[in-house]
This record gives sequence, structure tokens and C-alpha cells, in this order.
Amino acid sequence: MGALDGRSDASSDGVDDYRRRARAWLTTNLPPLEGAAQRPTSEDLTPEVMAANRALQRKLFEAGYAGISWPKEYGGHGLSSAHEGAFLDEASAFAMPDFGALSATTFDICVPTMLTHGAPEFLRRFIPKVLSGDALVCQFFSEPSSGSDLAGARTRATRDGDQWILNGQKVWSTLAHLADWGLCLTRTDWDVPKHRGLTWFAVPCDAPGLTIRPIRQINETAEFCEDFFDDVVVPDTDRIGALNEGWAVTQTMLVLERGAGRRDAAIPPSGPGPMPEELVSLAQRAGRLADPLTRQRLARVHTTDFVGRVLTARIAEMGRLGELNPGLASYVKLFRGTYTPIRARLAVEIGGGPAMIWEGGDAKRAATSLAYLNGRSASIAGGTNEMQRNGIAERALGMPREPSFDAHRPFNEVVREAQNPKGTP
Amino acid sequence: MELTLTSDQELLRESTSRFIAGRCPLTTVRGLVDSHTGVPEGYLRAAADLGWFALMVPEEQGGGNVSGDGVRDAALIAEERGRALQPGPFVSMNVVAAALAASGPTEAQAALLAALCRGETVATWVPGDATADAGADGGITATPAGRDFELSGQADLVQDGTLADWLLVTAGSGDDLCQFLVRVVTPGLSVVPMSGHDITQRFAAVTFDRVRVPTGSVVGERGGCRRVVERQLQLACVLSTAETIGAMDVLFEMTRAYATERTAFGRAIGSFQAVKHQLADMSLSLEAGKAIAVAAVRAVQAEQHDAGEIVSMAKAWVGDTGIDIAQGCFQIFGGIGYTWEHDLHLFLRRITMNSLLFGQPDWHRERICRMHGL
Ligand SMILES: Cc1cc2nc3c(=O)[nH]c(=O)nc-3n(C[C@H](O)[C@H](O)[C@H](O)COP(=O)(O)OP(=O)(O)OC[C@H]3O[C@@H](n4cnc5c(N)ncnc54)[C@H](O)[C@@H]3O)c2cc1C
Repeated sequence: MGALDGRSDASSDGVDDYRRRARAWLTTNLPPLEGAAQRPTSEDLTPEVMAANRALQRKLFEAGYAGISWPKEYGGHGLSSAHEGAFLDEASAFAMPDFGALSATTFDICVPTMLTHGAPEFLRRFIPKVLSGDALVCQFFSEPSSGSDLAGARTRATRDGDQWILNGQKVWSTLAHLADWGLCLTRTDWDVPKHRGLTWFAVPCDAPGLTIRPIRQINETAEFCEDFFDDVVVPDTDRIGALNEGWAVTQTMLVLERGAGRRDAAIPPSGPGPMPEELVSLAQRAGRLADPLTRQRLARVHTTDFVGRVLTARIAEMGRLGELNPGLASYVKLFRGTYTPIRARLAVEIGGGPAMIWEGGDAKRAATSLAYLNGRSASIAGGTNEMQRNGIAERALGMPREPSFDAHRPFNEVVREAQNPKGTP
Repeated sequence: MELTLTSDQELLRESTSRFIAGRCPLTTVRGLVDSHTGVPEGYLRAAADLGWFALMVPEEQGGGNVSGDGVRDAALIAEERGRALQPGPFVSMNVVAAALAASGPTEAQAALLAALCRGETVATWVPGDATADAGADGGITATPAGRDFELSGQADLVQDGTLADWLLVTAGSGDDLCQFLVRVVTPGLSVVPMSGHDITQRFAAVTFDRVRVPTGSVVGERGGCRRVVERQLQLACVLSTAETIGAMDVLFEMTRAYATERTAFGRAIGSFQAVKHQLADMSLSLEAGKAIAVAAVRAVQAEQHDAGEIVSMAKAWVGDTGIDIAQGCFQIFGGIGYTWEHDLHLFLRRITMNSLLFGQPDWHRERICRMHGL
């Protein structure tokens, strides 16, 4: 499937023509981008902003520029990832639909996962809604008792004729309160080892019995949510993948989440471009542009930014040339998880104390502090650095798997024991 | 480090690695550490037969390469050389050859260039400032003396200095730079062989005490050669970085394999998370190093406007992470890695020395700032 691994590039004929047509359409139909694209936070995504972005998405859909590499039978266009890359490249100068973090969870992670594992009947019904901007999808993966240990999910799905009743709790689900649907991991069999009793569902966020509450984050916004499932009814036709075979779906999702699904990943950067403007002006304000230590920090950030970009393109290329090894995808994620907090810290060191105080609500001046706080999430969200290191070591470098104390026993037994921990075995 | 090679390049890589394995494997390199040249008998001529010194020289000047991308071919060979810590001239020799070829050489210089391509004589590159990262121009100065020039000053770290018959010297002349091709047996010129940290390479300290050189030894235009010196620095950095990547790759692979073989507490040490995670971090740095090194090779090959910046990024990144990786490998090998018999220290020595040559990471980062007008 082109959307996932870009291996349909054999059909990349006519990309130049396609690019020209796309550019012409973009120029007449979309407003040009003013300044650099800033990812909107939950606070920016007011009902008006959401509505305007949905309208933009619908416009792309109607003009045939949504789902460029997704299968035709579901409303996509079945073109190569080179076509999609060309379009995105051209579109980078325009104001494209932007749903904050929901853009990525919908278009790069959840829906590509559905495309791989969903039933054709479901996809025919669902994908057109996604493409027209009417089905933004969040991730109902993590739970209070299982984050890294995703296979330890305890949200229960119980069969009731041709529907399922969901009970349990999800947490840290980014922008769930603004999403239309969630891709939800549940346990459908408790008597087998944990990886063998999982099943995925698509759940509408306004389903009766589902309560979604935003949680305030360290950066003061409330972007992620806690979600309570009390007898939420889901039809079996909204199941994603086979019953009790949810771990295979999870594998696909995890690879995509680590960045392999990003539609722009494979475009190699042409050059480093200018130094990060915000850091140069921080140095300037602090009167430190001539300070050798400050200059080292500036060049370090600039170098690391570019290295990250060429690494991302390299890993995407490796994926194209061979198998999309889940260990490979972890490289990009670990790079981000390692260097984002370092970058944020270097910025603080460049600006010094004065960069961390500001007058009133001066958002521009507050940006260093905000980036510093936001920098903490990169090493956790989407899989912690430690999980990426395990993935690289075990899957790319061939190290022995971690010993497991729970993976071979019935899950209900594991849960019982976790409630009365005896210490490590 | 390249993910895909053309069939010509694949052939070049294979023949290079076969040549190295046959003529100068690591055991041979090790056996030569106490020798004066560090190079096996006949090695240079044989390497020249494979085209090692002709890659960036046009055919009509006696050169040629397999793919039409001389820089990429040279980087490929440099990487293979790094994998087995090859001794003898390569980086500096190629920089000189490329410089002469591009300079519009005099007849005598053209003859020398052809001899370089054939491996009959050795030349090395003596940059005025790039090796010594203190950065001041004018480690060496050229003063007009009648129709000749007088060179004075010193270059403390000259790669392959003890093997060279000729030096391509960059000297400050007023506000300008000037390059000269000088025979090492010129009066006033002393080349002192140095013992050094990297026992598989040879370095010299070169002193110019009012060395009188004729106008005919000027290479290219008199003055105004900052641009060509910049190009030479880019080549030197990109090739030395490729060599380091080759060394890092082998070193890391040795360590990875060891982690699956060595057992402690009844299990492979690679099953301990502390070891696993170190390996994962090293592997990340290495993969990122390959990505930026390839970007630098491409940029230099294409003479991209920001090639100098990308090269400095590669040199800084690989310079730093190479040493980190070498340290991590030492850690995972435990005691055995600290023995003379083990190859680890040979890799550490080469990687470290390459990180210092042609500008150490800090020097390149400062350069990046200047390129942005800061
Ligand atoms: C900003 C943000 C947004 C998020 N968005 C979403 C979302 O949209 N949807 C969603 O479902 N989740 C989301 N998450 C949750 C995120 O995926 C989890 O927080 C993450 O996977 C870690 O799980 P945990 O918080 O339970 O930590 P734990 O799994 O309890 O980990 C705690 C510590 O133990 C370490 N650890 C755990 N297991 C191992 C192991 N095997 N080896 C070594 N170390 C280990 C971890 O690395 C970590 O350092 C988000 C998180 C953040 C911070």
C-alpha cells in the first residue's frame, strides 16, 4: 500500500505534470502561507478555526487532492508517494488544513493503520468521511495502567450479538475532545497471554457512555484527555482487524507512529537553510552574538536540525528499499526524543535568564519557555526513548529480546498478581 | 554509507576492498606501526593502478574515474580505507591532485600531476590554517623577494608529511592567500617526522625558514585563491569524514557482534538493557553520521552553494560522535578492549586524529556561524 511504504513508486510517471497542475490549482484556490507554519495548540483550535480547516479539507477533497496515495476504491486516488510528495512540496507555501496534532493522528497514523487492517466494507464507508474532513481520528491507546506496555490494555470489550460493549479508561489521548472518532485498543479475551486477546475498534467520540475530559498539561494548555468508557456500544462492523489479533494491528500502528507514515518524510532536504531565527535573535537580545560559547550552541542546534532531516530522509529511503523494519522507524523517533529536549535547553542557555521572563502576555518572548516545556514530550509521547532503544537493539541490531515475566501467561493471572505484587520474580 | 550504488561504483567498492584485504589487511597495518613509512612495499603504485589518485583529475590530464562523480568515488574509497585503517597518503594526495588539475597547471606541474596519478611520487597538502584550528591565517607567509618568493612560518600537523616529495603550501600574502608547489628538499625547508597518537598514519611538522621559491612554483592565479582553498578544505573534510565513517562502521559492528557472543551471568551481555541501550544510541549516532556524510559528499560533488556549510556540519557531527562511539565500544568490550593486541585502540586512535585534522568540531561550528554572517 503506497500510503504506508511508498513502494508503489514504480507508478511515479507523470509526477512533473502532476506537480505543475497541483501548483496551478493551489495558486488559484488556497491562500498563501503567511510566515512559517506553526502547529496550532488546543487553544488555537477554536470551533471557528476547526470549521475553517474542515472547509479547507473539503476543498482539497472535492478538487481531488485528498488521499492522493490512498486506494481508489475508498475514495483516494491510488497515485504513488512521489505524486503525494510533489503535491505536499508545492503545498508547503500555502495555508493547508491544519488540525494540530489531529492531522498526524488521523492522516499519518490511525487511518493508514485502518487501511492496512480494516474490512473493505468499513473502509468504503469510513475513508470518504476522513478525506472530506468529517472524521478526524484520535488515539485511544494508552491507559492509566499501560503506556509503554501497550499489550497490557485493560479496556474491556464484551460481545453482545453483533455489537460490542466497551468499558474502561483511556488516557493521554491527544485532542480527543476535538476529534470525531478514536481508534481504540481493547481486550476481548482475558484467558490467553496478553498479546493474543486484543481487538481494535473505531469509536465515535460522541458515543453515548463515552466521557472525554481534557487534562491540563505542563504547558498550561489542555491538549490530551482522559476518556471514560461506560457501556459504550460499538457495532462489530466498526472492528478494525480480526478478533483477538489486535497485536498485528498494533505493530503497524507503532511503526507509523514513529514517523514512518509521515507523508513528507522521504523528501530529502536540499540544504540547511538559514540559522534558526528565533535563536539568533535570542542571542542578540542577550548581547551574546560574539560570545564563543553562544556561537557554539547556535551552530550545534543548526547542525542537529539538519542532521535530523537528512537522517529522516535516509531512514525513509531505507524503508523504501527494503522492509519497513519497526526497528528502523525507531531511529527517527529516538533522534527526536533525544535532541528535542537538548535543543530546548540550548535555547535557554543562549538566551539566559532574561529569556525566561517576559512582560504580560508577550507570546513571542514566552516562546523559549514554552519550547522548553514542550520539549519534554518528545521523549515520552508516541513511545518513550527507552522503548525505541529496545526496538533498535532487538529488531535492527539483533540483540536478544527482553526477558518477559508476563507474555506467556493468561492475562487475567498477570492482572491478579499485579494487584498483589510480591516484588520482582 | 551510500544506500545505493551504481554497478560501476559497486565494482569499485569491491575491487577496493579486495585490494585492501589482499595487500594491506589490518594485521599488516599493525605490523607496520613501527616502520618509517607505515606503508607496505609497492602499495602506492598498486593503489594508483586502481585509480586511487586520479579520481578528481580529468582524463586529458592523466586522470579518470568510474562513475563521472569523482568526489563520490573518492569518498567510497576513503570509506573502504577507513574500514581497514589504511596507511599512506590518500586524502591529502587527492586534495593536491584535484587542486593541481583545477588550477590550470604549468607544464612542470602537469607532469607532476600525471606522476601523482601513477603513484610515482607523493604530494601532500599544507593548509595555512585549516589543520591548526586556532584559525589564524598566516601560519605561513609568502613575501615577494625579487622575482621569487620567500616562505616563512610553520605547519605543525602535516598529514603524510614524512612520505611526501612535494608540498602544496597555502601561504598568506598581504590580505590574500597564495598557493605554492614546493619540493621538500628545498633549502630552508625542514620536515620533522613526528611520533603520534595515530600509529597507523604518519605526520610531520614542517618549518619554512625563508624558503626561496620561484614564481613558477605558484599554483593557479597569484592571489585571490581563497575560493580554491575553500574547495580543497571541503574535499579534505569530506574524504576524511568518509574514512572515519568506515572506521566507525567496522568498530561498531565488531562491538555489536561481541555483545551477542560474550556471556555474563548466564546470558549474552547484549541482553542487558544497559548494553542494549548504549548500542542503540551508538547506532543512532552512526546512522545520522552516515546521513550527513552522504549529504556532504553530494553537496561537494555538485558544488552546491552551501557545500561548505554541509561539510562543516558533517565534519563536526562525525568528529564528535565518532569519539563517543569509540568510547561506547570500549565500554562494551570490557578489559579485553584495553589490550594492545585488540584492534579497538587502533580505531580509537584513527577516529580521534581524524576528528582533529582539518579543523576540529568547534572550529567547524564557528565556521558555520561565520558563513551565516554572525
Ligand atoms: C504529550 C503527550 C501526548 C500523548 N498522546 C497520546 C495519545 O494521543 N494517545 C495515547 O494513547 N497516548 C498518548 N500519550 C501517551 C504516551 O504514549 C505514553 O505516555 C507513553 O507511551 C509512555 O507510557 P506511560 O506514560 O504509561 O509510561 P510508562 O510506560 O509507565 O513508563 C515509565 C518509564 O518506564 C520506562 N519503561 C517502561 N517500560 C520499559 C521497558 N520495557 N524497558 C525500559 N524502560 C521502560 C519508560 O521508558 C519510562 O521512562 C501521550 C503522551 C504525552 C506525554
